[in-house]
Amino acid sequence: MNITQLLNQLPGAAAQGLIWGIMAIGVYITFRILDTADLTVDGSFATGGAVAAILITSGVHPLLATAIAFLAGLLAGLITGVLHTGMGIPAILAGILTQLALYSINLRIQGLGTDLGSRANVPLSINKYKNMLVSLRNVGSFSIENPIWLMLLITVVLIGIMYWFFGTEYGCGLRAVGSNQQMARAQGISTGRGKIVGLMISNGLVAFSGALMAQYQGFSDVSMGRGAIVIGLAAVIIGEVIFGKLFRNFALKLLAVSLGAIIYYLVIQVVLWLGLNTDDLKLLTALVVALFLAMPYWKSHMAARRMKGGKPVV
Amino acid sequence: MKKLISMLAVLTLILSVCAFAGAEGTTYQVGILQFVQHPALDEATRGFREALTEKLGDSVVFTEENASGEVPNCATIASQLVAKQVNLIMANATPPLQACTNATGDIPVLGTSVTDYQSALEIELVNDATGINVSGTSDLAPLDRQAEMIRELFPEAKTVGLLYCSGEANSIFQIKKVEEYLAGMGIECKRYAFTDSNDLASVTQTATECDVIYIPTDNTAANNTEAIANIVIPAKVPVVAGEEGICKGCGIATLSISYYDIGRKTGEMAYEILVNGADVSTMPIAYAPQVVKEYNAANAAELGVVIPEDYLPIGE
Amino acid sequence: MSEKGMLVLKQLYKTFNPGTVMQKTALDGVTLTLQPGDFVTVIGGNGAGKSTMLNAIAGSFQIDSGSILLSGRDITHLPEHRRAAFLGRVFQDPMMGTAASMNIEENLALAARRGQRRGLHWGITASERSAFREKLSTLDLGLENRLGSKVGLLSGGQRQALTLLMATLKKPELLLLDEHTAALDPKTAEKVLRLTSQLIRENGLTALMVTHNMKDALALGNRTIMMHEGRVILDLNARQKQTMTVEDLLAQFEQASGKQLANDRMLLT
Repeated sequence: MNITQLLNQLPGAAAQGLIWGIMAIGVYITFRILDTADLTVDGSFATGGAVAAILITSGVHPLLATAIAFLAGLLAGLITGVLHTGMGIPAILAGILTQLALYSINLRIQGLGTDLGSRANVPLSINKYKNMLVSLRNVGSFSIENPIWLMLLITVVLIGIMYWFFGTEYGCGLRAVGSNQQMARAQGISTGRGKIVGLMISNGLVAFSGALMAQYQGFSDVSMGRGAIVIGLAAVIIGEVIFGKLFRNFALKLLAVSLGAIIYYLVIQVVLWLGLNTDDLKLLTALVVALFLAMPYWKSHMAARRMKGGKPVV
Repeated sequence: MKKLISMLAVLTLILSVCAFAGAEGTTYQVGILQFVQHPALDEATRGFREALTEKLGDSVVFTEENASGEVPNCATIASQLVAKQVNLIMANATPPLQACTNATGDIPVLGTSVTDYQSALEIELVNDATGINVSGTSDLAPLDRQAEMIRELFPEAKTVGLLYCSGEANSIFQIKKVEEYLAGMGIECKRYAFTDSNDLASVTQTATECDVIYIPTDNTAANNTEAIANIVIPAKVPVVAGEEGICKGCGIATLSISYYDIGRKTGEMAYEILVNGADVSTMPIAYAPQVVKEYNAANAAELGVVIPEDYLPIGE
Repeated sequence: MSEKGMLVLKQLYKTFNPGTVMQKTALDGVTLTLQPGDFVTVIGGNGAGKSTMLNAIAGSFQIDSGSILLSGRDITHLPEHRRAAFLGRVFQDPMMGTAASMNIEENLALAARRGQRRGLHWGITASERSAFREKLSTLDLGLENRLGSKVGLLSGGQRQALTLLMATLKKPELLLLDEHTAALDPKTAEKVLRLTSQLIRENGLTALMVTHNMKDALALGNRTIMMHEGRVILDLNARQKQTMTVEDLLAQFEQASGKQLANDRMLLT
């Protein structure tokens, strides 16, 4: 065990955390603002990767490819939204259905241009596509090429855009839909349409994050979104537990989500460094998430007890 | 935040230089990144470790990590191994190979259990070598000989069902090749792709309309041989498999490679690079040293298939 | 011919859970006309159809048959959020009318744009903010200094007063009050009722107010209707109300329905 090695590993954790942080902001929009658990995420993350990979390998600039991946994510959210509001399917189930369908669709997207028409894995080697936005290759380097800088910039800009959007008349309406549907309808807001738009934005961000992840790790794979929702929720909850007291402003809350994702990866990295057998990684992930989920509950429990105990005994 | 990151980056730089200096000497740091807990991949990793340990003894230290089947973990672990400044990385299966290749352009990366390096890395092989810091072993059993095996055992067969998981790049690659060879012999092929273990049974059921079923080296199929056997044996449809494990569970015959063998071969390549200074970029991709024709005695008897004498029964 | 604020209900029918053991006829041919400026109080027993009638007007569900006309416009098939442009609503549950996780000024800003297209302009303007402060100060609840507070932190009475303000911020053609003081303590309820009368009077609103308090029903408004088993069984004008006592009202009920007034929450005082 060598502390030097751990420090060497931190930039990697930070870069990956920042990429997942964008996905987690997407999860925050559905989970916290719209108050629905959307499981489309596992599928739309891979959709983002698939779209970006197939475009980059066919010569499209990575920047444009990433933007188009965002649009593909909007579409994925639209499907879940229509299944939910237009066909009356419960939100969780609608998300699972879309996620399921996206698996096949992602295979097809990645198979575009191949004679088989379907492909599980698309390589995106940094050796070949040198203009990719972010790459694992440069994460240890001390230069402008280091993906951490660009990811920081993207995160800040994104939080700014989200802060603005949810402050507009339209964005306030969306927040009302998440807060109280009866009230929203009484104010003339279509809750169905509001949910669809929220799901679209959320999955757009998730796909955007998937596109960056594919470039970072150097390939897109149909199963790359597996477990994404867990990481997203973990980031949201870790961020809230640690920074909830400090960050009241909406922009800062989003920042907390991004920091939550980074902390999640730091924890994993430290635990691996401590010598945990990677076979136990999933158990550990579940434990970390459960622990942070339980913390607000314990806190309120303890607060209640203190109030009881604090009463003067006469 | 920015300040913190840049401070960390500076620290990292300084410390990594120290770490590198410390790594010099007689010990070799070797990182292993395996994709998922799976019998075949486990065997390959075991072969790799044994081969290197036999040659280097205590002077080789392994850092073995498993991505537990989650693709994003590959990037996490790859960056960890690179940060650790290991002398060589062994990447067991395709996603680890891709992640490691992207994580470093300097540290030699040896793959194993990878079927096709050309499509995994989108690279042109020159003299079977990649020209970059990557080489390794392929788990490909010669597919033309597998196609021939189908004709040898079942000369009457008119249609062959190709059963595989649509989510596995390696399987798709093999299916494509086998299809070409069989078509060349005038045998009709039909594809039956399942997406995961949930629809495997119903897809297999449909595939029994063919005279023979061929299953390539496919991880999902390998994990569900019992389910496949329960359908194909009562239906009296023989299965020719791409690897021993699948044949053992539900097949009649296979052309087998040993994952332990390719793991060992990868270990020998690693020794050449670490100790003898061989250049990884010109090292040709290696294949399994020996291929064995094998058959499943119980299933062959059940279906009344006559097996030629040069086949060995599995499980001895 | 009809004027703004005129409500016409023609033969409204609604049966919930038809064909099941839970089948319940909630509206059984409700016919009612409100003149502009009418302030009508609605009383009746449990399950008489009072709230159902209000919800039918608001569009919470589609009625089985009949038609609803507001200011001469047929709104029978308009979805709930489209009708919101014409309606102000206050619910029985103080949690229902406001968004708890948003702050006071955001709630007011949402209400100020009721039924309008919501664009990408900033959600609250500076001039609105000062107008809100002024309006809140008339409530005399100290809310004018708490524009940035989350509504979830307010008491039930404060939230109900805020909802009332929101419902009238943009003048509605019809105000629907569904037992909006039932969940409040007597003192707060009285305060909210006073505010209700004041807002209706000042803005000249047409209003329907469901109440379980017979005294309030007689004291407030210019008209009182009584419902029973999904029908309007009694309709008192302003003059009739003046001479009516609670006891008379109970007797009238028994006469019209042939039953004792059964409402465990009914307040007779």
